Amino acid sequence: MRPEIKEYNYDWMLASITDAASKTADGTEKEYKRLLDYIPYFRRTLEPILSEGKPGITFLKLFNEYLQNIVHSHDQGKKLAMTTFCFSPAIFHAIDVVPTTLEVLSTMGSLMWKRGNFDYLDHSVELGLTETACSAQRGALGAYLGGLATEVDFVICDTPGVCDTNANSFAFAASYLDKPYYQLNYPQTLADSRTGKYHLDDYKEMIRFLEAQTGKKLDVNKLGEVLEEIKKQDKLIGDLEDMHQLKPTPLPPVYNLFIYAGRFMFSGLPLFTKLLTEMVETAREKAEKGLSGLRSGHEKIRAFMCYIDHYTLNMKFWDWLDSHGIAHLGGILSRTFADDSCYLEGLQGSSYGIDTSSMDSMIDSIAQMNARLPMVRSIRGQFDKPNMWLDESISLAKTFKVDCVIYNGTPGCRNTWGMVKPFAMELEKRGYPTLIMNADAFDDRVESWEATMERLDEFFKVRGLLS
Amino acid sequence: MMDIFYDAATKIQSKPILDWKAAGKPVVGYTCSYVPSEVFHAVDILPVRIRGIETESMEIADAYFGPYICTFPKCILQLAGKGKFSFLDGTIITPGCDSMRRLDECWRKAGETYPGIVPSFFYYFDVPHKTMPHGMKWFTEEIQNLIAALESQFGKKVTEDQLNRSIHLYNKGRRLLQELESMRSKKEIVITGTDAFAVTMAGTVMPRDLFTTHLESLVESLQKKEVPGNDPRKRILIIGSISDDISLIQLVEQDNEAVVVAENLCFGVRYEGNEIAETGDPISALANGYLGESTCPRMYGKYKERLAALKDIIHRAKVDGVVMQNVRFCDLHGSENGLFERDLEKEGIPCLRVEREYGPLVEIGRLKMRLDAFLERLSN
Repeated sequence: MRPEIKEYNYDWMLASITDAASKTADGTEKEYKRLLDYIPYFRRTLEPILSEGKPGITFLKLFNEYLQNIVHSHDQGKKLAMTTFCFSPAIFHAIDVVPTTLEVLSTMGSLMWKRGNFDYLDHSVELGLTETACSAQRGALGAYLGGLATEVDFVICDTPGVCDTNANSFAFAASYLDKPYYQLNYPQTLADSRTGKYHLDDYKEMIRFLEAQTGKKLDVNKLGEVLEEIKKQDKLIGDLEDMHQLKPTPLPPVYNLFIYAGRFMFSGLPLFTKLLTEMVETAREKAEKGLSGLRSGHEKIRAFMCYIDHYTLNMKFWDWLDSHGIAHLGGILSRTFADDSCYLEGLQGSSYGIDTSSMDSMIDSIAQMNARLPMVRSIRGQFDKPNMWLDESISLAKTFKVDCVIYNGTPGCRNTWGMVKPFAMELEKRGYPTLIMNADAFDDRVESWEATMERLDEFFKVRGLLS
Repeated sequence: MMDIFYDAATKIQSKPILDWKAAGKPVVGYTCSYVPSEVFHAVDILPVRIRGIETESMEIADAYFGPYICTFPKCILQLAGKGKFSFLDGTIITPGCDSMRRLDECWRKAGETYPGIVPSFFYYFDVPHKTMPHGMKWFTEEIQNLIAALESQFGKKVTEDQLNRSIHLYNKGRRLLQELESMRSKKEIVITGTDAFAVTMAGTVMPRDLFTTHLESLVESLQKKEVPGNDPRKRILIIGSISDDISLIQLVEQDNEAVVVAENLCFGVRYEGNEIAETGDPISALANGYLGESTCPRMYGKYKERLAALKDIIHRAKVDGVVMQNVRFCDLHGSENGLFERDLEKEGIPCLRVEREYGPLVEIGRLKMRLDAFLERLSN
């Protein structure tokens, strides 16, 4: 790793940028315009977010608070837990632990810097991780393994049985850094009672681990507060999903990122509720006027990302969709699968409800919710089995009246690359033009954005989706 | 004496399997060491570990698997598509790793294009990644469910007595393999690594009674063999990703400068390392033996235990150097090799960490160059 990169901690550098960025909307228009001249690269991330108005401003503040919490966790006497986006941070909030989610930090590096995460991705490999490991973890992990981030106290993941390369990165980190480690493990089935019992037993063990690491008992009142807040958030996300069904959808493409990033960082905390409330208000105004969420105001086509978005470099992916009149109908990351979601038809057992009537019911609720987080829910089993990726994708495609499906991931995703071809064949059979992108969502060196753009362009033209 | 082992180790359709089929008895293939062979043996079904050797091309596998996938399951799918596993009456897929578990969908979907390649009994055996009580309970139930499925498919009843007899026989084989390992640890080299690996490989596909009989004879003959004790060859331990091809071991030994004195590979004795308890409920005993004692990286979070086990082998077998290989895209072994390299080199144990391809893409020349350089390092 280049010596100059080691001058400052990765999380501190991100936090410094978001600290400044979150204040940009507090000044005058003139000050803001002047500032943009000094951030020729980052402005391409900042501008699209702030152009969304109140939700954009709140999203930046939320990003900043998340990073400040990480950087100052130990000063505030809190434990710092390394975890994954497939794991709900709600339980950490309930027991007063600060989560640092590798994929969120990798995404931030990709979105903020022209150099992306390249140095950190490579540094992980220099320290022993395979270069074929998923870049979603590998980026931020390079900083943690190299001692270039706030020291974590323990590691928790929930991807054994779901995603090897994800679970492996966390197990590697725990061994390399010699930190306590707990893994939730998911069977290959989802909706039966035997599986539900396994979810619960495993989650209870994890709570015991958390209590041992923090020296605190899980507080029933705090857990209740967090879960009640999640109820509100799920309801607001449900409102957004309902509006997504409209043609044109009043939701801008970037709302998808706001939903899942907010959920991965602040599930169960009021700041995320504030963000969602503002998003719902803004989208509702447009819906009432029959307006599209796209900047052009003209929705030409509706695309569903059946896996994840493309984060490198800055916000080019969302910008490209928007400028081509393509509505983003969400992906695997943005769906909660809370009871009453509008896309549950034919997916019995895939959803969860929240019951705060007792400690047992709360633990069961949070365990079942966690078992329905992205990836954990839909790619744990064979893609064509009940409630799994194909069923889920078809249900979502129908509900949101999509015109095409796009797969984007990382070469590190052994799980989806192991079956995405037959999965795409099945979607094509059902009439959905499906594109398998070969890019790496976190590493522009695998396929340049220019090449990715060409492939997207080719797909939409060749399949007759855009003239 | 070694011919029967080599026949089984180097051919997909080996003589013992063809003889078994000719006798009208069923054969079930499985893809991972977590599947308890005893439950098949108990009702006269031949369990055969599915392998990727003899692959010559990849056009079928590449149509279903994506590009960033380990070549081992790809080779299996290619062979399946070519009808090489036509002798199978059943197949069991397990979540050994993500690439291997996706063999389930890819094989089934390929069956729509290549009729007849999917056996009528195509079963998914869900192995958890933990040995806590709820993990063990799940795995025990999985074995029970597997038995019920076998009974239903093949019209046979698995009894406790039959299971106990099978466990007893398999344990006898395990003890003989341990004896073989013990002989390999001595200064006097009575068997090459290639021969020893061929024996353990054969054990994954031969009828167990036949294998045990031949293994017993081999061990007896080796015990009587007299060889000089000052063998100058470097003593090598091979660890890492799945390997069912004796050519990897042959490559290390071919110039007679090194001998492989131990492996820690999932097709090697690691799989046969644990004896199953012969008292109590046999299904619980199988669960404890196959999962409870597992030392595979897919269990995650057990690095210290595996490092200790590795050090034990290194000291016991008086190893001069460790070859750590991983098939490309095998992050589990590849990353763990990174940790092993860090910790073993710190203790002065020379390590070679090398990534490779499996099957028809294998780069013999590059591997040989790396191995030669490593042996040169050991000599200096």
